[in-house]
Amino acid sequence: MTRISTAELSGYLLSGRLGRRGCLIARRIPFLIRPASKFQARPHFTKIQDDKSRTPPTPPRVPFRKQQKDQAKTAKVHSEKKKKNANKQTVPGWELTVGIEIHAQLNTARKLFSPAATSFNDMPNSHVALFDVAMPGSQPAFQPETLIPAVRAALALGCTVSRVSRFDRKHYFHWDQPAGYQITQYYEPFAKGGRLELRARDGIAAEEPPDGVTVSIKQVQMEQDTGKTSAQPDEVHWIDFNRAGAPLIEIITEPEIHHPATAAAFVRKVQMLLHAVNACVSGMETGGLRADVNVSVRRSGEETLGTRTEIKNLSSFKAVEDAIIAERDRQIALLEAGGVVEGETRGWSLGSTETRRLRGKEGEVDYRYMPDPDLGPVVVDDALVRHLAETMGTFPDVEIDQLVGNYGLSTKDALSLMLLDNGARVQYFYNVLDALEARLGGTEGSSKQYARLAANWCLHELGKLTELASDLQMTPEGDSGAVPSSELADILAHLHRREITAKIAKELLWRVFRAEITRTGVTQTIDSLGLWFHELTEEEYAALADEAFQPEQHVVKEFVRFREGKAKGYPNGKLMFLVGRMMMGGPTERMDPAVAERVMRTRMEEVYVPAAIAGASEGK
Amino acid sequence: MSARAGLLRGLSLCHVSSTSENVSQRRRLLHHFISKVSPSVITEENNRLGQDAFTLAVKDNIATAAAMDDSFSLQTTCASSFLMGYRSPFEATIVTQLRARGAVVVGKTNLDEFGMGSHSTYSTFGAVAQEQDNKGDDIGSGVVVLRHSAGGSSGGSAVAVAVGDADVALGTDTGGSVRLPAAYTGVVGFKPSYGMLSRHGVVPYANSLDTVGLLARSVYAVTRLVIVSGLWAEHDPKDPTSLSAAARKRCSAGREGYHYNQDDKTSSTEGMLKGIKFGLPLEYNIEELDPRIRDAWAAAASVLQSLGARIVPVSLPSTRHALSTYYVIAPAEASSNLAKYDGVRYGFRASEDSAAATAATTAAAERDGNIPLPGAEEENKSDSGGRSNHVLYSATRGQGFGREVKRRILLGSYTLSSEAMDNYFIQAQKVRRVVRRDFDRAFRLPNPLLGETEEEQQQQFDLSDLPESIPMEDKFGPTQVDFLLCPTAPTLAPLLDDVLDQEKDVTKAYMNDVFTVPASLAGLPAVSIPVEVEAAAAPGGGGFVGLQLIGQYWDDARLLKVAGAVSECLTMNTKKKS
Repeated sequence: MTRISTAELSGYLLSGRLGRRGCLIARRIPFLIRPASKFQARPHFTKIQDDKSRTPPTPPRVPFRKQQKDQAKTAKVHSEKKKKNANKQTVPGWELTVGIEIHAQLNTARKLFSPAATSFNDMPNSHVALFDVAMPGSQPAFQPETLIPAVRAALALGCTVSRVSRFDRKHYFHWDQPAGYQITQYYEPFAKGGRLELRARDGIAAEEPPDGVTVSIKQVQMEQDTGKTSAQPDEVHWIDFNRAGAPLIEIITEPEIHHPATAAAFVRKVQMLLHAVNACVSGMETGGLRADVNVSVRRSGEETLGTRTEIKNLSSFKAVEDAIIAERDRQIALLEAGGVVEGETRGWSLGSTETRRLRGKEGEVDYRYMPDPDLGPVVVDDALVRHLAETMGTFPDVEIDQLVGNYGLSTKDALSLMLLDNGARVQYFYNVLDALEARLGGTEGSSKQYARLAANWCLHELGKLTELASDLQMTPEGDSGAVPSSELADILAHLHRREITAKIAKELLWRVFRAEITRTGVTQTIDSLGLWFHELTEEEYAALADEAFQPEQHVVKEFVRFREGKAKGYPNGKLMFLVGRMMMGGPTERMDPAVAERVMRTRMEEVYVPAAIAGASEGK
Repeated sequence: MSARAGLLRGLSLCHVSSTSENVSQRRRLLHHFISKVSPSVITEENNRLGQDAFTLAVKDNIATAAAMDDSFSLQTTCASSFLMGYRSPFEATIVTQLRARGAVVVGKTNLDEFGMGSHSTYSTFGAVAQEQDNKGDDIGSGVVVLRHSAGGSSGGSAVAVAVGDADVALGTDTGGSVRLPAAYTGVVGFKPSYGMLSRHGVVPYANSLDTVGLLARSVYAVTRLVIVSGLWAEHDPKDPTSLSAAARKRCSAGREGYHYNQDDKTSSTEGMLKGIKFGLPLEYNIEELDPRIRDAWAAAASVLQSLGARIVPVSLPSTRHALSTYYVIAPAEASSNLAKYDGVRYGFRASEDSAAATAATTAAAERDGNIPLPGAEEENKSDSGGRSNHVLYSATRGQGFGREVKRRILLGSYTLSSEAMDNYFIQAQKVRRVVRRDFDRAFRLPNPLLGETEEEQQQQFDLSDLPESIPMEDKFGPTQVDFLLCPTAPTLAPLLDDVLDQEKDVTKAYMNDVFTVPASLAGLPAVSIPVEVEAAAAPGGGGFVGLQLIGQYWDDARLLKVAGAVSECLTMNTKKKS
């Protein structure tokens, strides 16, 4: 196997990026396009197993009990961790104040001041205009289309769009900044005075008021992105100017956030909003959104804010929360020990517990802001702002309300759907639901039932497919190259009608994912492989129950004790043990565990327990 | 064309006693070209283009590309070691436009590094010189050849035109860089309204002031290209400061002369001047003004008056602040524009050894509490530490730039710093508006940039601002004029050796821009025309005085027309006297 470069590996590990070339991608391709015909030649049962043993994405078989145990364990760890941060939201006697600056890449075809295309992971230095690399004599050419996503973003954040705004130069030297300055909007930004409401469901700290908090947005400005550096051995740096000059917006809040979780919730919600209005296409996980936080502390009751420090370049929601907690605690410890907080810039590495000093006040750069003498003011017509405001579509808050209210999803599931695949997953969910309703009609169930079924599969079952480094090839319109919405709807329709078991349904899903089922072939596949669910009759179930109960008669005592009020809880474990034996004893492919459980419970209550009680009284 | 003939006669003085061999040898020492096109290519092009062809010299801060022949491509160095050998991947719009009109590029001319200087001495290719014979001695036994300053920063272009190496030369004028060398070398130098000619491909010094200017031996040579051939009307979408077609239409609506016809050329020059009001700005009559220039100025005014023009004194009260304003704004923009020269993507890069040495001295200087060396202002975002710290840019910028450029970068970096911004840069911008307002009040024509309606464009003097010597035209104030007539520079071309000695007192050189800077700050068109000074009246100085005509914004066509007439009349007058 070829060696993977550290740059590529870190890109993949830290931000989930895969290079265009290289072994990671190359290995995925044959497995995606493996022809289905190859498998039809052999009997299906061995085939599935054979295939599973050979394809890397299939999780290894783990005994169910162990799986449950592991899950419980991780859940516990998770909740403990969560609890930890949840407990860390306040420090008695101190008040935390946070202001946030978010940099987000705008969804535009061209750069801010050159007609070069914006790109993502393309061949390095393949989209570079003369101005992007500051060739002598080149000049900026403002691309007015970049205003559209920018204005949309500003409106989504409740800002007032200024009729006239201007561009300024912010000077500092770095090799990723070809001109020696960044063009930004310092003196007259294009949007000002917005606000964003955060509710409990957005994940704000429990200490916030129950009706949520509002964060004021000071301004939103347009600016240029920098080039991308990749470090090579021996202090060599490679620079890719494809990103240099791409348009960004910077969103600056007032310093009025007082809890770390609320800060993280703010960034998360901004990302969701920007996706919803199509202002940005890539999120924090792909580096399309970065946050800087300004942190200060003061003793409760003090009027003036403490000295603030700035933590730069936070690249995940968790990093925002963790870095704020760490920095707040550092400042409090410092002040309590009689020290002084210095205004400085600090950094944060993923997974660390402390912020680290990057440069102090004396090392602070004087950016020497100057109006750009080549660029005239940008005049945004009111009509444009009005038009964009009218065509904004549904805001995420409204959409979540609809998902919860109209479709009966849990808030958590609704939020997850909205966030996944940069907002494409919820679109996919709608597509699956539409297709499902078309197949089942209104007679076979309520639309809430369909929605919950579809949501469950769109989130959890689909999630399992991608646990191992491969994606669903989700399009922004909400269809998946790996699992087309129509195929999933076919599977779910059969599942809903109980024509197949959940186990078969999951198996079919894997087959679709591995492209073993050609388009619209779900039903055909079930036919040809004989996967239809021919369920046992009620009598057959009962016979199986009796068979399973026979050698384990002693457990009936526990049920008797419960019946007699001697035990507090129903002996569910024992019942499930019996169901398990029942499933083992019968033809699994014709059985539904839920039905088996119901039959076993009924037999227990109506036959075995009464028999045991009768037997006992007889014995007396 | 008598004006041209007169000038050529003047020029002939320079080389009257030289054999052709001497001429070429001497010309080489003038350092007016940085790179030259081979004569065979020029001849070929000349033949190809036929009667439209004219030779063009291009200042070396204007990008030229390998357009004529693949085997030959001119570098674009800006006279800086930083860009020595740099070949631009594209051609400046103005060069393309002129080539389409028959220009045959003969070479790239020398200048002050990045256009910063007034004598074309701050060049990595050597100082530009012009030679004038001192024929004060009537025995005629020998001719003493004196080397004079060619003016700057477009000194190379001016000399190329003066000695006949090119018919027309492109220069850039930020604060007088075309007009001053034109005045010193005795040629015509034209700075158009800001936004008329495209700056795309012109390496910026101070974007808000930079203009592309033309130098030629006659006003008509300039008029022919800028007005007659329609350069004035061409918007360049690649230059964001190039006026849009709509703005050009609006600006020229209230202007005369853009639709040139043959009648204009043949109509009598004297008739053209009748009724035109020329203002003489009182504030330009400074103490330092060379008396020979003052005399030439006064003489010119009386000639014009005798031809039916009206001469009135005007006041531009802000003039005395204009120079300092310029030397705040221009270096500020320069410090920003020149930040791109870091040796990463193109141009000069210091070797690792010298970089390490610079780092050591910087570190030592910082330890001793000395002022950091130029170029030490960069941010070091690198966490990698070690060798890369403070090394790459300091050494590269420290070695790549010349003294004057470093001086202006430091000056500009200071005036833009957060502590000085309000007191320098912001104040300078305010004064700049006042300068423009003064011009607007002095001119009869309104400034179309001030607004759409005449009311918005109307400007009036606050009477308390005016000196008592300014007569009132009516109850609204003094007479408003068509053009301002003033000297281009306060002195004649100084001796090159004196200029090089002045290095100790650099701000003295800044004084030469005192008359040219106001029009640059206001973005107005201005043209410098040469007036010959009698040899006896000019001992130890050059043989020419530059007189400057300044017009209202976008009045370029009429300005050039009138300048042509003035030039012709003054030449005839000189001839009459001799």
